[in-house]
Amino acid sequence: MIKLLVRHKRLLITALFLLTVFLTYAMNLRNKEHANPLERGVMTLTAPVAGGAAAASGTLDSLWSNYVDLLEVRRENVALRKSVQRLNERIVSGNEAVMANARLKALLDLKGTLDAPSLAVSVIGEDSSAWFKTLVVDRGSADGLSEGMPVLAAGGIVGRLVKVAPHSARVLLLTDHASAIAALVQRSRARGVVRGAGGVRCSMEFTVKDDDVKVGDAVVSSGIGGVFPKGLPIGEVTMVKKGEYGVFQTIEVRPAVNITNLEEMLVLFRQPND
Amino acid sequence: MIRYLKLTGWLLAAIVLQMTLMPRYLLDPFQPNLMLIAVVYLGLKLPHRLAGFAAFSLGLLQDSFSGIYLGLHAFSYLCIYTLLSQLADRLYTDNRALFVLVVFLATLVCALLNLVMLLIFSVSNGLYASLLPALIPQALVNALIASLVFSVPLPAGEEAR
Repeated sequence: MIKLLVRHKRLLITALFLLTVFLTYAMNLRNKEHANPLERGVMTLTAPVAGGAAAASGTLDSLWSNYVDLLEVRRENVALRKSVQRLNERIVSGNEAVMANARLKALLDLKGTLDAPSLAVSVIGEDSSAWFKTLVVDRGSADGLSEGMPVLAAGGIVGRLVKVAPHSARVLLLTDHASAIAALVQRSRARGVVRGAGGVRCSMEFTVKDDDVKVGDAVVSSGIGGVFPKGLPIGEVTMVKKGEYGVFQTIEVRPAVNITNLEEMLVLFRQPND
Repeated sequence: MIRYLKLTGWLLAAIVLQMTLMPRYLLDPFQPNLMLIAVVYLGLKLPHRLAGFAAFSLGLLQDSFSGIYLGLHAFSYLCIYTLLSQLADRLYTDNRALFVLVVFLATLVCALLNLVMLLIFSVSNGLYASLLPALIPQALVNALIASLVFSVPLPAGEEAR
């Protein structure tokens, strides 16, 4: 018997182990809804590990999804930045178009009030010297322009053409020292010559002391000299000084046109009184 | 030859810069006169016989782009070039401070020459009223730019100087 047991020891141990496992299973079938001490022990021991693993896994998941989201956000950010840039360009372009429209409308209104034919010109350059006040425009003798033609903007007289090339011309601004325009004070009809005084100023010369000139008076072209048509606005009197000596009074005139911001102008081809 | 081509390139760049961008973006008295700086450079560092012609041409170019008096700057630049080329032998022209000082003085001399020419030969009365206030700022700006120009490795003059 013992020999038999010894010979089949391995088989018997296996069978016994299987039987034990089977009995354990069978005994726990009735109590399947409750944890037995072994289960409780194992659960107690593994719970923190499982919790830590779950937390680590969650963190990794979160990191990965955040990283993926960040990549997506980065792509989206780049796309949005480009979009913002495009929209900004459109806004600037739109604003520019609106402003150009307003300027050109004002120029068109001015053109409507003139009897003489005129040509619209755009400023393409400014004088590189601080002393002279000239502008370069984009039309020249090929477009019918010639020296001496008056140049106007929406507010009034800008100057006259000098040095005309085939496809460009120089405008001598009324504020240049070499500029002189026969003028009169609109209210009192006092005559004089508006000369450039550099910067953005002009002075009205050869107006005798007896003439009535006050600050705020409008100064217009007199038409004498044959360059500028009569009645075009030149500027406004900003200072009048009558010295003790001399025949003439000192008058300072602010140009009606803001010459620092000129972009489009009209060149008159001939005077109405020609 | 390459040296002169490089110098011509620099001069052309200065001309384009002065005629196009600077009047658009810089206020009047603070626009540096690159041509005048070039004339001073030619007078002090390049005593070539064509340099006088170059100074004259620079003046003519400036007159073509600025003002209405052709020959005004051509005259004043040539005067300044002649004066400097005569003085260059007696000066230590490699000195940066000297170059800056000469540019400052040349700006004043050029302005005074132009003023005299305008007052004598044109009807620009009262020109000094707008010229004089702008003179010192312009001279200072020119001197500042000259100090920067001097740090650029431009084609050097003869070693004997």
